[in-house]
Amino acid sequence: MFGGLRERLQSARALLSGSIEAAAAAPPSEKPDAPAASRSAAPEPQVRPPAKKTATFASKVRTFVIDRELIITEKELADALYELEMTLLESDVALPVTDAIIAHVKKDLVGKHRRIGQSVDSLVVSTLRSALLGVLGEGFDLITYIKNHERPVKILFTGVNGTGKTTTVAKVGDFLKKQGFTVVIGAGDTYRAGAIEQIEVHAERTGIKIIQHQQGADPSAVLFDAVQYAVSHKMDVILADTAGRFHTKANLMSQLEKIRRVMKPDLVVYVDEAIAGNDAVVRAAEFDRTVGADAVVLTKADMDSRGGAAISIAHTIGKPLMFLGTGQGYDDIVPFSPEAVVEELLGDA
Amino acid sequence: MLDSLSTSLKDALKKLAGRTVVDRAAVDELVKDLQRALLSADVNVKLVMELSKAIRTRSLDEAPSKVMSVREHVLRIVYQELVRLIWASTDVKLEPQVILMAGLQGSGKTTTTAKVARYFQKKGLKVGVICADTFRPGAYDQLFTLCQRINVPCFGNPQEKDALAITRQGLHSFKDLEVLIVDTQGRHALEANLIQEIIELNQLVKATHRWLVVDAALGQQASEQARRFHEAIGIDGVIITKMDGTAKGGGALSAVAETKSGIVFIGQGETSEDLERFDPDGFISRLLGMGDLRALAERAEEAIRAGDMDATTLMKGKFTLRDMYQQLEALNKMGPLKQIMNMLPLGNMELPEGVYDVTSTKMVRYRIIMDSMTSAELDDPSLINSSRMQRIAHGAGSTPDEVRELLKYYKLMQRTIKGLRGAGGKFNMQRLMKRFSGMQ
Repeated sequence: MFGGLRERLQSARALLSGSIEAAAAAPPSEKPDAPAASRSAAPEPQVRPPAKKTATFASKVRTFVIDRELIITEKELADALYELEMTLLESDVALPVTDAIIAHVKKDLVGKHRRIGQSVDSLVVSTLRSALLGVLGEGFDLITYIKNHERPVKILFTGVNGTGKTTTVAKVGDFLKKQGFTVVIGAGDTYRAGAIEQIEVHAERTGIKIIQHQQGADPSAVLFDAVQYAVSHKMDVILADTAGRFHTKANLMSQLEKIRRVMKPDLVVYVDEAIAGNDAVVRAAEFDRTVGADAVVLTKADMDSRGGAAISIAHTIGKPLMFLGTGQGYDDIVPFSPEAVVEELLGDA
Repeated sequence: MLDSLSTSLKDALKKLAGRTVVDRAAVDELVKDLQRALLSADVNVKLVMELSKAIRTRSLDEAPSKVMSVREHVLRIVYQELVRLIWASTDVKLEPQVILMAGLQGSGKTTTTAKVARYFQKKGLKVGVICADTFRPGAYDQLFTLCQRINVPCFGNPQEKDALAITRQGLHSFKDLEVLIVDTQGRHALEANLIQEIIELNQLVKATHRWLVVDAALGQQASEQARRFHEAIGIDGVIITKMDGTAKGGGALSAVAETKSGIVFIGQGETSEDLERFDPDGFISRLLGMGDLRALAERAEEAIRAGDMDATTLMKGKFTLRDMYQQLEALNKMGPLKQIMNMLPLGNMELPEGVYDVTSTKMVRYRIIMDSMTSAELDDPSLINSSRMQRIAHGAGSTPDEVRELLKYYKLMQRTIKGLRGAGGKFNMQRLMKRFSGMQ
């Protein structure tokens, strides 16, 4: 998973290290230059360069000579940062998010003093790690949440068309069932042809109770019934599937709001696909704004060896990622842990 | 985001407006903004780099014609380069054929299959659909229901696990039909056994066309996936789905470039009617978040006159109910108003929220009400007093309240358009209408 991004990040990391190494190699040649110039040019040369050229030049030399440290400048990083930017863009990290990450890395690295003996690599890695971790935030532990929460826990799944909500509901249901919770599924997608049949088959295969009405019924009513069922049977979790809808359709979005009013979910889970590009940011923000989102599930992570959408969405709406969908089987779902992912991305190849 | 991008692109263009010599720095800036616009539309990074390089070189090397301003010169090149990329609009022939649908999971193959079936059916061909998706639960039910709604025979068997066997039977039982569409299971390039299956399916059905269905939101993966599908079965057309959202479809553009094919259809909506032939101009405008680039480019070609074009196309006359009627009629076929507004060259113009809130059902109601008005009332809505309102409501089977609401909406629109005019935007009713009719 995310192998592509990992490869790319590693090459970007090598480049960043490379340009810092190059910068490190440069000063020794500058050092004889500076005194030579100062000797021949004018009196008080030590004062003039800072005033005229850059403040960093003199301080750079001074730092180098006295502290045996190097200062990293923006110019030295430019190429490597450009490379990193392209890497992120090619990995489907949305443009504004890429800008934010680049800014973070730049801010962290530029002007940093580095001891000569210190490994460049570790500096770069720690910067990238903090940038990525900062973006990805905390994961979301569903099991702990359910354990600490009053039963039944009502979970509503939302998202645009074709991201894999129904399959995700089945997978999460299976996952929770294996953890020993009792689960009921509400077939809230009453619009799409075949949706009820689809979730019915999933429920049958995983042995989970399903509450359904016929096609065209009011989804709020279906999900309300599911909640009632769970309450009266003392079930632990309700998983509410909904029809896919675009954030641009005002009436469908207000239908979703009605569902939320009626079933009062404890968790609204936004489902999107890992292969989505820049639009992932737009629609995640819109869903978050209109119906709210407490956690995110990213599907189809097995197709996408890059995983930029994870970074984009997490950064945009600041909500934790809960699961990654990684295939078509019920077991193909992985609880998301930011540390593990970042470790995998930046770890040694 | 979209707004800020198109604004910066326009700013960059504006800088070129007054110049007589092509300025390297200004061109560089324009190219950089163009890159950002394309990247945030999900166009493949390498493709963007190639494209921007070509635009930069051509802008600087080619001498602008004497009658053209520098801005027009650069715009023309931008337009030409983009059109070159998506130029190959695939011809859909109305003759007996077999079409194999391929694509990733959840890209909208099944819905699109029904839409394509409806398209050929409307053209008077006998259409049959074969459901070769043996994996996803409910796939056959979905396709069967969709086909039933449009009265197209659908062959499938939810019990059968072998897609090839189903397809073979389907081919046999549909051998009298003219157009056969084979819907397949969603798959991605890393699933070797599924790729092998679609290769065998392709050999079995001897498909005339193999169309790749691409979600408009698909990102950088598009190139890679399209390439693998192309290697496997030779894609000769791309269908972009879910264009009714906010995604720009740049991924589809990468897919087209990768497969050297064209965009056949665009899907934007959930019913079987929501399928349109591809319109490159509308697509490019949306991609860049800019208005009618073609009209601009054509103006440049004709070189009517140099100078700033913004001021030339101000709307003349007043906005009457009749205009609104036409507009609603066009909108009805177009999709959400917000999306259309995004296509217009309004930049970061602030529009009152209420303008967007008119849903399609309401638009239909409005049109019915307007049908009950006299010509005089349509031309001059101020004539409508309460007794006329009563009459109109009566004729349209609605209430005076609804008529009042319509008039309120009309006033809102009128104010909006006045505002645009006042701000000197290039909001041209005629051109707007032309665009709408062009896209139907």
